[in-house]
Amino acid sequence: MSDAITLTLAAQPDHVLVADCIAADRFLGLDAKQIAQLPVVHGGRAGTLGEFFKVRGGHSGVVRIEGDVPRVDAIGAGMAGGDLTIEGSVGRDLGLAISGGRIDVRGNAGDNVGGALPGAARGMTGGEIIVRGNAGDEAGARMRRGLVVVMGDGGRAMGEGMIAGTVVVFGKAGPGAGRFLKRGSIVALAAIDRPGTFRYACTYRPPHVGLLLRYLRGRADVAVADRFLTGRYERYSGDLAELGKGEILQWAGD
Amino acid sequence: MKINGVTIADTFAEAFTMRVARLVITGRTGKWAGEAATKLTGFATSVIGCKCEAGIERELTPTETPDGRPGISVLFLTMDKASLPEQLIVRVGQTVLTCPTTACFDGLPDAPDRLAIGKALRVFADGFQASKVIGGKRYWRLPVMEGEFLVEETFGMLKGVGGGNFLILAEDADAALAAAEAAVAAMTGLPGVILPFPGGVARSGSKVGSKRYKNMVATTNDPFDPTLRAITDTALPDGVNSVLEIVLDGTDAPSIEAAMRVGIPAACRPGVNSITAANFGGKLGPHHFHLRKILA
Repeated sequence: MSDAITLTLAAQPDHVLVADCIAADRFLGLDAKQIAQLPVVHGGRAGTLGEFFKVRGGHSGVVRIEGDVPRVDAIGAGMAGGDLTIEGSVGRDLGLAISGGRIDVRGNAGDNVGGALPGAARGMTGGEIIVRGNAGDEAGARMRRGLVVVMGDGGRAMGEGMIAGTVVVFGKAGPGAGRFLKRGSIVALAAIDRPGTFRYACTYRPPHVGLLLRYLRGRADVAVADRFLTGRYERYSGDLAELGKGEILQWAGD
Repeated sequence: MKINGVTIADTFAEAFTMRVARLVITGRTGKWAGEAATKLTGFATSVIGCKCEAGIERELTPTETPDGRPGISVLFLTMDKASLPEQLIVRVGQTVLTCPTTACFDGLPDAPDRLAIGKALRVFADGFQASKVIGGKRYWRLPVMEGEFLVEETFGMLKGVGGGNFLILAEDADAALAAAEAAVAAMTGLPGVILPFPGGVARSGSKVGSKRYKNMVATTNDPFDPTLRAITDTALPDGVNSVLEIVLDGTDAPSIEAAMRVGIPAACRPGVNSITAANFGGKLGPHHFHLRKILA
């Protein structure tokens, strides 16, 4: 048993590499050799994780991926626990439908962070995903529970169809954020392109936002300025084309 | 044993097991956290008449509270498991929920027994409530006219200790009061302990039952009443004309012992004859605080 399992990219994939076998809780019962034998799909062809990554350590729920892996998709898919850190950028479908644990991406992430499988009603149902760079489109789409934090800019349709849970975006959020959202919160610390089906409610200091940001600062070492902890937020209820029990909270100053 | 010329009686305080919860109340300022805490712990001196005992444990700095605001830590005790959530739901709902700017958090997060206080209070929001899970804990957001009230879904419950005590026997009422005030000042803010009576002091210590009224659960502790010295089986030494009692509740026996260890010496002042304690021959409760042993 090792403190952490480290995956180092040995050969840059020529095509998109679907590595949905990489999940911190799944590695808990496996040694390095077994991890290297896990199946991946490279350019539509079956392969093994060991063909692309050098694996060090085993039997741990703490996993670190070294380097940039922007062509590797579906990292952390279906994860239910443990800690997964990616030192660089990742491809699409990061943390697809996860139910627990924490994923921390030091770089950028592609589309559909914490999203749902094609045709599925629900995306992630628990856990935390932190993207310290930018995220692609549809981050947190169809989320049922959990937390997605994007410290850079978000793409289009963040939190689209959310059922519950929380998305925090530090940078700009693209158009369509929160569209068809039933419940749940999108906390925008910068500009956000709101759908017309959200209606302004009030400007206030939501107590749970301060609590959440303080938690992120303490537990996940996310740099959060004091002005966001104690500041005022505009509350927009929506999506009024759906239940209307969700919200976009946009920071409105100290 | 004597401290500053004050006799420490060779006896013990007898205390009983209670159920305890710790609430952390925060507010935009310490004043508003204090307002809520004061109302919450009002009329909570003794289970005999109030069905609960409660008090402010200590003030909390912003660095000690979950939301980074000034706060107050409150201990709340009842005699059994069932009545603790009943009392808390009613009291938090009427005193903390109603108080501007406050939020209410669990102060015993590691306690395995959980009381669904926030879960019960959420229905005040009439279907407009929303929950958030932050760091594995669920919180309820209740829309109110001011904005939102945030309350943790569950609160921890532990077996605590109620009824720790000591009596200050003094030459006159002024000396007794000064000694009691000094003791309370020394014990205020110690972790795990509250002094549930007004100002931390009780003037009307009681005995179990009644000599005359069969329905009375507790009546005046006549052996310690100076005005009855001539007509009752008095426990007062000569020269004692006033007695005050300090009652201590806490999360555990060591916390109460630690408080008594600093409180009793502080009460040993000029005009004080002796310090003793109330017990019932060991029949009331399993916790026995022997004064001389604690002070040794």
